[in-house]
Amino acid sequence: MMEYIPLNFPFLAAALLVGVSFYIIIFKRNLIKLIMGIAMMASGVNLFLVALGYRAGGGAPIYTDAPPGPMVLPVPQALTLTSIVINVAVLALMLTIVIRIYRHTKSLDSEKSRRMKG
Amino acid sequence: MAALITHSPILIIAIPLFAAFLTLPIGMASKKARNALVIVSLAFVAFLVFALARDISINGIHVYTLGATSPDLTIPTGVMVPVRIILEVDGMSILMAIIWSIVALAAAIFSLSHIASETGQNRFYTLLLLMVTGGFGMMFTGDLFNLFVFLEITSISGAALIAFRTRSADTQEGGFKYIVVSAIASLMVLFAIGLLYGQYNLLNIGALAQVIQYTTSDMIALALLIIAFTIKAGMVPLHLWLPDAYSVAPASITGMLLITSHTCMYAAFRVCFTLYGGMLDTPVVGWIIIAFGLLSMFVGVTMALRQKDVMRFMSYHAISQLGYMWVGIGVGLAVLGNAELVGIGGYGRDAMSGGIFHILNDAMYMPLLFFIGGALFQCTGTRDLTKMGGLAHKLKWTTMLFIIGTLCISGIPPLNGFSSKILIYESVYQFHPILAITGIIVSILILASFAKAFHSAFMGAELPGYKAVKEVPRSMIIAMVILAAGIVFITLFPSLIVDWTIHPAADALIDPEGAYITAVTGAIP
Amino acid sequence: MTSIPEFGYAFWNPIVLIIVFIVVMIVVYFFRRRGQEKYKKDTDQTQIFLCGEEVPEAEQRHIRVGNIYWGFFETLKEYYKQVLRPHTGIINDYVLWFVAVTAIIAIILLIAGIAK
Repeated sequence: MMEYIPLNFPFLAAALLVGVSFYIIIFKRNLIKLIMGIAMMASGVNLFLVALGYRAGGGAPIYTDAPPGPMVLPVPQALTLTSIVINVAVLALMLTIVIRIYRHTKSLDSEKSRRMKG
Repeated sequence: MAALITHSPILIIAIPLFAAFLTLPIGMASKKARNALVIVSLAFVAFLVFALARDISINGIHVYTLGATSPDLTIPTGVMVPVRIILEVDGMSILMAIIWSIVALAAAIFSLSHIASETGQNRFYTLLLLMVTGGFGMMFTGDLFNLFVFLEITSISGAALIAFRTRSADTQEGGFKYIVVSAIASLMVLFAIGLLYGQYNLLNIGALAQVIQYTTSDMIALALLIIAFTIKAGMVPLHLWLPDAYSVAPASITGMLLITSHTCMYAAFRVCFTLYGGMLDTPVVGWIIIAFGLLSMFVGVTMALRQKDVMRFMSYHAISQLGYMWVGIGVGLAVLGNAELVGIGGYGRDAMSGGIFHILNDAMYMPLLFFIGGALFQCTGTRDLTKMGGLAHKLKWTTMLFIIGTLCISGIPPLNGFSSKILIYESVYQFHPILAITGIIVSILILASFAKAFHSAFMGAELPGYKAVKEVPRSMIIAMVILAAGIVFITLFPSLIVDWTIHPAADALIDPEGAYITAVTGAIP
Repeated sequence: MTSIPEFGYAFWNPIVLIIVFIVVMIVVYFFRRRGQEKYKKDTDQTQIFLCGEEVPEAEQRHIRVGNIYWGFFETLKEYYKQVLRPHTGIINDYVLWFVAVTAIIAIILLIAGIAK
């Protein structure tokens, strides 16, 4: 059982990243820290996707002058690139909105800057 | 014309996308040309959607492969699995597309006057058309990762549109809550897609449905997918962000965001019924959905009774109506294993037809009610019901449309709300009586809450502060009348609508012979 | 007829209901025609009569939305206290609900899968 841990290390790291980011999002009141938590969660999920494609001893998935042996899967790498780009857009939008919230309510605390409840 | 219908799935997604990018330069040149571009492109897309709907009712599932030599070539020669991006349109997808095209057209016409006094209108219409693209993409896609991408497109443009009125603080708060919830839900969807891909090395929904077995990782992926889609579709207890976001957006955008919620509900059902097929624990998942649906119905309407803000009031009613759909289709899911109950005449199929019919009806009257809330905001300058009164003297058209909306949402015969609600009550009563009883109690409370809102906003003597109020501009009335015309059409011909659109949609979800899978893979091995 | 939904549960035809509605409206119109037509506008004949009491201003006369259904809210005070507790408006609580519900559903599905 212990010999599986080095093989599964990327998945453990991804799970740790997602877990810590959920902790940040749930328990930290500062809006900027909340956005950092979401960025960390995006990194965790991207790491999980890339790690899925790894094949032991594999090389880059390029057919030109390919060395013999297995190749890692290219599809998760494409999914990860798409996901990185989408998360850049989402983070930019979130940061813009937080700037405006700060200008209106003069506070970055998620409890003090809320105006709507119930 | 035949070529137009063959290529219509990609055209329906591509035309709003190109129109979105053209809106910015054309808008800088002339306002009237930009308005004409938006309306004409949405009207053309609606025409294409109806033509595709007619083609699907004649010829069955419509598959479109992007980038292949012919649109039907889903599996190239020498390859074992579908390899390209495949758009697959069946009865349920085209019903959602019909709804989306009508509501998007009405929302665009409504926006012509509603945001006429704001700056940055070019960007508003660009974002609106991008949201339309995202919605159509989510409905037509046959591919899990494509679903994620279009879900993100819809969420990002929706959040930017909620925060459009940057003068007020509450719009920014609503937009922030929407984008945070959407980002977390989408990342969890991507995580579940990764889990499924890691096991089966496939992303296509039809191909996955063929090979999926219900292992432990699949159970976790199912839980993540269902909960991530239901948090965006406003299921209690995950609904807490919905009133904050939907009440502050411009009213036309709230109507479109509601249909986005319906689309996320459709995605959840696509996962439960088509992706997992008969493999999942249908009684367990069905009862989970029914329990949350009952909670949504009841909590939605009891919270709505307390609200003083008119758009927040409508948002809680939207949550409650979504609960009806969850219950209807959840009953269908719970009895999916029993072939006789989901065949023609069984109460499983009737419950699903009731839930899907309620999606159609809700998409007609709920945006109408949101538009009326926006009209009230434009006329009186406030969303607060405690300050309004006696508006029926001045806003005659708005009052008439509000009465029609109230009667529809409460399920008063002969309007369309009654047709779908009676179908849900009669069929879920046979599953378990408590569901129908809760539904009827919630209907009574809905009528009570709308009577309260109607009295406080429209009835009474004319208040001195509102002497200068005039009727809303003509394009807003036209948008609301489009939706009211849809309501009247469904009212007069419910059986026609059910036979043409609803029963094919329910049968497409139940799919006893696996038509969705064979359309992509060519043959069941 | 295409307007009769054949749900198999009851007879229900919207055209018949609309015709009944129109007939009732015609009857109501004839009742209204029998009313008084001669009255003097803009005198005390058109004012509200409250048995001789003073009629308050429109601002004070109109019952606001917070005061309607007071009895209903008083009776269900305990229920509303419980239902209003999660509706805090804080974004962190929304994500906490998401994680909690996902965990519960995953555990239910795993237990149901093992028990089968």
